[in-house]
Amino acid sequence: MDFVCNFPFFSILLSLFSGTICSILPGKAAKVVNRLVLIAVGTMSGILLLYLLGTGESFVYWMGHFPAPWGNEIRAGVLEAGMALFFCIIMYLSMAGGAHKLFDEVEESKHNLYYILINLLLSSLLALVYTNDMFTAYVFVEINTISACGLIMIRQVGRTIEAAVRYMIMSLLGSGLLLFGLCIMYDLTGHLLMSNIKESVALLMQNGDYQIPLIVSVALMCIGLCIKSALFPFHAWLPDAYGYSTVSSAAILSSLVSKGYIFLLIKMIYRVIGFDIFNNTRIIDVLFVFGLMGMIFGSLSAIKENDIRRMIAFSSVAQIGYIYMGFGMGTQAGMVASVFHILSHAATKSLLFIAAIGLTEVSGGSRKFIDLTGSGYRNKWSGVAFTAGSLSMVGVPLFSGFISKLLFAQAAVQVEGKMLAALIVLGISTVLNAVYFMKTVIRIYATTEDAPYPCMTFKDMKPYAVVLVFFIIVNVILGVSSQPIVNMIEQGLAMFA
Amino acid sequence: MYLILLPILFPILAGFAILVFPKEPDRRLLTATAGTCLVITGALVLCTLLSASQELMLFHLTETLPIYFKIDETGITFSFLTVIVFICAGFFSFAYMKHEQNEKRYYGFYLMAFGVLNALCFAGNLITFYLFFELLTLSSFPLVLHTGSKEAIMAGLKYLFYSLCGAYASLFGIYFLYHNCDTLTFTAGGVLKASAASAEGRFFLLIAFVMILGFGVKAGMVPMHAWLPTAHPVAPAPASATLSAVIVKAGVLALIRVVYYIIGPDFLRGSWVQTAWLTLSLTTVFLGSMLAYREPVLKKRLAYSTVSQLSYILFGLAVMNKEAFTGGLLHVLAHGFIKGTLFLIAGAIIYTTGKTRVDELRGIGKEMPLTMWCYTIVSLGLIGIPPTGGFISKWYLATGGLAGDIGIFRYLGPAILLLSALLTAGYLLPLTIQGFFPGADYDYTSLHRQEPCHLMTIPIVLLTVLSVLIGLFPNIVVAYLTNFVSTLL
Amino acid sequence: MGPNLLLNYGEAVAAILFCIGFTNLLLQTNLIKKIIGLNIMDSAIYFFLAQKGYIAGRTAPIVTDGVTSVEAYINPIPSGLVLTGIVVSVSVTALMLSLTIRLYIRYHSLDLDEIAAQLKREGR
Repeated sequence: MDFVCNFPFFSILLSLFSGTICSILPGKAAKVVNRLVLIAVGTMSGILLLYLLGTGESFVYWMGHFPAPWGNEIRAGVLEAGMALFFCIIMYLSMAGGAHKLFDEVEESKHNLYYILINLLLSSLLALVYTNDMFTAYVFVEINTISACGLIMIRQVGRTIEAAVRYMIMSLLGSGLLLFGLCIMYDLTGHLLMSNIKESVALLMQNGDYQIPLIVSVALMCIGLCIKSALFPFHAWLPDAYGYSTVSSAAILSSLVSKGYIFLLIKMIYRVIGFDIFNNTRIIDVLFVFGLMGMIFGSLSAIKENDIRRMIAFSSVAQIGYIYMGFGMGTQAGMVASVFHILSHAATKSLLFIAAIGLTEVSGGSRKFIDLTGSGYRNKWSGVAFTAGSLSMVGVPLFSGFISKLLFAQAAVQVEGKMLAALIVLGISTVLNAVYFMKTVIRIYATTEDAPYPCMTFKDMKPYAVVLVFFIIVNVILGVSSQPIVNMIEQGLAMFA
Repeated sequence: MYLILLPILFPILAGFAILVFPKEPDRRLLTATAGTCLVITGALVLCTLLSASQELMLFHLTETLPIYFKIDETGITFSFLTVIVFICAGFFSFAYMKHEQNEKRYYGFYLMAFGVLNALCFAGNLITFYLFFELLTLSSFPLVLHTGSKEAIMAGLKYLFYSLCGAYASLFGIYFLYHNCDTLTFTAGGVLKASAASAEGRFFLLIAFVMILGFGVKAGMVPMHAWLPTAHPVAPAPASATLSAVIVKAGVLALIRVVYYIIGPDFLRGSWVQTAWLTLSLTTVFLGSMLAYREPVLKKRLAYSTVSQLSYILFGLAVMNKEAFTGGLLHVLAHGFIKGTLFLIAGAIIYTTGKTRVDELRGIGKEMPLTMWCYTIVSLGLIGIPPTGGFISKWYLATGGLAGDIGIFRYLGPAILLLSALLTAGYLLPLTIQGFFPGADYDYTSLHRQEPCHLMTIPIVLLTVLSVLIGLFPNIVVAYLTNFVSTLL
Repeated sequence: MGPNLLLNYGEAVAAILFCIGFTNLLLQTNLIKKIIGLNIMDSAIYFFLAQKGYIAGRTAPIVTDGVTSVEAYINPIPSGLVLTGIVVSVSVTALMLSLTIRLYIRYHSLDLDEIAAQLKREGR
């Protein structure tokens, strides 16, 4: 086994321990540690990705040299390594983009706590991505929840605490369901490792035993993860949580935390239940319907919203709907589209949050649209970045959003029966996206006679502007050279089976 | 080989550079830069049209979706019109935009729209075309809402949503075509697989209809024409000139590309789609003229007239025979020059007198004789009186309609075209009559000569002359067009 | 259905308890009651696991009197899972309680709806 194969384990452990170390460091040092860890983990994931692309097959890593049915395992394939790399990039950019704002939002003495939470979050995300053990996944789901909750409430205002409570309640409902489903699955199969469960499930399906408990268990786990990733009817906690937390938290929560759960769901579909078995259940139809509803109702709520951060948050609900719609199609193409949308949405949504903060900064800190009038002129970089993000969201060619919509539509065309519904809703949702994003873009570029707020120039915010540029580059890369990425996703999904 | 990219990238980059230029530059410097860029772009387009390198595979968006440019006769026709109108209107705006704010933004987006339009003309497959079609909407809508008044912003939004809805409806069709065509490269006669066309003919007819409706939005076809009369009057006059003369023609170009190069006219000929398309376009011709007839505001009247005239072209496309198609292309050119001139004249009138309503303009011919003479000449052209360009195109359209195998529309079509020509006379000529013959009770003492400056009159005269030249010496153009139309149909 | 339910009464009880906890966590407006619901829900799952891991007539997997035969002990893995689960649930409960205290100090109420109403009045 090559040395590179240790990297997934190293990255999880490194981020976990750096979290602990941050607790005794002052805020500035913690920040440096956090950045270094992100860079290190990103590099390791990059190397791992290259290695895996070279060998062309995934590997399983035994924790503590205990073989299969007893030991705990880590598994890495192209998709896992790619996701880890992407998560690191987005997290680094989000942190760097919100760093200057952190001083306004969080008391100085609590900065190191913030970085502890970020490191913990990273480690739990990495563990969710890499783990091959269902119970480990559950434990890290909870760690993820706790650190995300901390990220929401680190800004101590009434709204955030209330949002954190609501977030916790919904998350706990979700993880309760996940755990219960998991236990039933364990009861049925006698295993906790994904690959072993899959074998047993295949055997059960073959013999036709325990069909109902099996479906119940799968359904419970699915619903649990849906709740945690804020699929449409379970999204009530989301706007407050994203809207009032610190800007980095909002960007990370919307683009990474929910995606971690979705990635776990994908892993579950492929590695635990089996893609074909999953697609033969009615569950995918339910996911499809809720995905479609999310796409429409999320956008409708966003249109009614009068607060830019909450508007972006509601748009997340719609975008999560897209991803679940892709699952619901029950085809390989739909899945590829969903995974691509995970990337595209993560890149775009974090860009929008980070850009929005620049706009509110030059509008006296207000996020109401009326105050944002003309802010695109006062902070040109944010204005351009927000416009780019909006265009990507609307699905204009050359940006990532267009490719994911294209992939969804192409996937939909191949599915009889769901084609028309998917395409029509895709169309309506695109137009609705255009309504509220273009409305915002026009608002920030409307001319005002009196602008009582100061302008921001490049000199005032060099790191911030650089981050925005990087975000736009990530978006355009996803939009222009999507084919290698799509190939990688296909390869990664093939490795799952 | 990469020469074809120059006329696309240069204006886009130049426009972008102007936009991101940190401070509001000196007005003369700005106009000088913009003017140079316009002229250089024009020269680049001409070089490209004349050069040998006719195609370029730029890169693959995804494995099966290449960004591909290719120059063909249709593209040349449209890019010829684009260059002339854009340069004329551009120079006109150097004078006109004096009384507007935020000129930097205007010229930036103006140049970008120019580049995008060039790309649209040169696009070699449907994906590239769609890409630039969207970009055209985005780069032209800042021009619509330029003044920034509440009315302008609402008009801009309306324009944006109509265009996006239309483009999305077409994208909907592209998804299906993508799976049932061998390639999406524009090929004369269409690329729809014969097997797909015969197996699911009814379905693809529906797809074709949806795409015609979708791209028809940009061309102002009923029932999605409402954005046009809202957007044109609020935009600055030179912007509305380009909108009406060129940008809406992008919708026409799109329909030509989809119907004649992707789906294939043979598949649609004689189907319900053709009937529906003919009905819609004739309805639009009549409705547009009627609405223009009762509209008191000059620019709005011209906008309704655009709605009507564009559907002349669409009628020509829908008939699907050689004469009508040639007539349609001729009308693209003729209407482009004429409507460009008319909007510039409307702009000149607003600029010098500040009046917008037709009934306020009594005696205007005495004040601005040169401008009003041009107005009269191009109006006659739009009505279709020889020897102006409009006559030739309408002649071809009418004979094409009569020769077409389109049932009752053979007679109905030309009849409605004639009726609409009468209405055109009815809504354009009153301004001439009132302008030159204000009536016995008119107080001549208050008149004073106020011809606009040369920067305004020269583009107007130039476009007028071109529209007359097309009518006087149509042979070159007609020969060129019939030559290539015979390869297409 | 009927006989199965009677045979697997342990699972049935766990499921019912889980539902009780779940509904409490979801529908109660009082935060403390919500937390109690959470604990009922978690306990139901531990009960389910423990009940699954128990084999009648055997003892806990701690070597006593030098007996090393596998036959003498119950399956230790579910017990291990329960322990892990308890750790998680304790920390989550602690977090929830601390949040509740924060909210109570700020708004003098444990009722989530009332707090939301107060927040709306504050308007931020």
